Amino acid sequence: MNRTEFMNRLERLLWDIPESERREALQYYNDYFDDAGPENEARVIRELGSPAQVAKTIREGMSENGEYTEHGYEDARFRNRQDVTADDPDIVVEKSFERQRRNSPDPWKLLAIFLLCLLLLPIIIPLFLVLLAVPASILIGIIGIVIAAMVAAAALPVAGIVLLAIAFYHLFLTPVAGITLGGIGLVLLAAGILTFLLTIWILKAVFPVCIRTVVAMLRYPLRKAGIVK
Amino acid sequence: MVFNTGAALLDAIVLAVVSMDAEGTYGYKITQDVRQVIEISESTLYPVLRRLLKDGCLEVYDMEFGGRNRRYYKITDAGTAQLNLYVCEWQNYAAKITNIFTGRRKS
Repeated sequence: MNRTEFMNRLERLLWDIPESERREALQYYNDYFDDAGPENEARVIRELGSPAQVAKTIREGMSENGEYTEHGYEDARFRNRQDVTADDPDIVVEKSFERQRRNSPDPWKLLAIFLLCLLLLPIIIPLFLVLLAVPASILIGIIGIVIAAMVAAAALPVAGIVLLAIAFYHLFLTPVAGITLGGIGLVLLAAGILTFLLTIWILKAVFPVCIRTVVAMLRYPLRKAGIVK
Repeated sequence: MVFNTGAALLDAIVLAVVSMDAEGTYGYKITQDVRQVIEISESTLYPVLRRLLKDGCLEVYDMEFGGRNRRYYKITDAGTAQLNLYVCEWQNYAAKITNIFTGRRKS
């Protein structure tokens, strides 16, 4: 990545911050590259890391609660006592009020979010349906597998026993065909017993886990929203 | 580095570095000067400068340099007052720590 690419990516990443802030930040980093000189371009890019990291730093620097130190982001609410300028308790109280006011939701922002939701409704509803449909189809698929396994568990031993009977009959007429059929019959019988055991295992072990997973998946968004504990 | 540099100390160092040039200085040079003393990444300084600017401790002006406009940072009176406060606090703090380290009691 060269400087132009870096700056373009940074500009795109900062699309949602106020125009003046974006201009300031971009000018700072443009100046920075200019002053570092073309010979240091690669080093500066390496030191800055990715454009995403720089964008994150800029964004975090803009939030009023925190501030940047050499160790990254620090929340001012947890370091008020160290603040040399805020020795006066009145100032501390005043500052924290100011912060609270800044943190209270802006009615215009709420309106914007509401309108955005309204606009996105044609996307959200199908998405929600898909989210419901995916676990449902997984569940139906598992039920289908269980039914198939149960049918196979019943049909395979029956076929095995029938083949054994035919084989017993053929044993006296054409011994080779009889033994072959008998072998196939025994294999089918064995497969049937295995399928039967598999079915029981699915019903006992896998099925409850699947149901629990689906329930957990459905509960997750509700828990996130704080509706269900 | 073994010891952390807190936000206030970083502010103080940046203010001190900027105040060394009466005419003001620019982002790249500030970063290099600060990096002489403490280890910080190159992206750390922008938010610090921005905040000091917002708090009125620094001011900026653009001046032509090498065919382009370069942004200069200059310390304000409020910034100087803040820096003096920081230096005072630091001297107190450093003296106490030194006393402890060298085993002398505070008289």
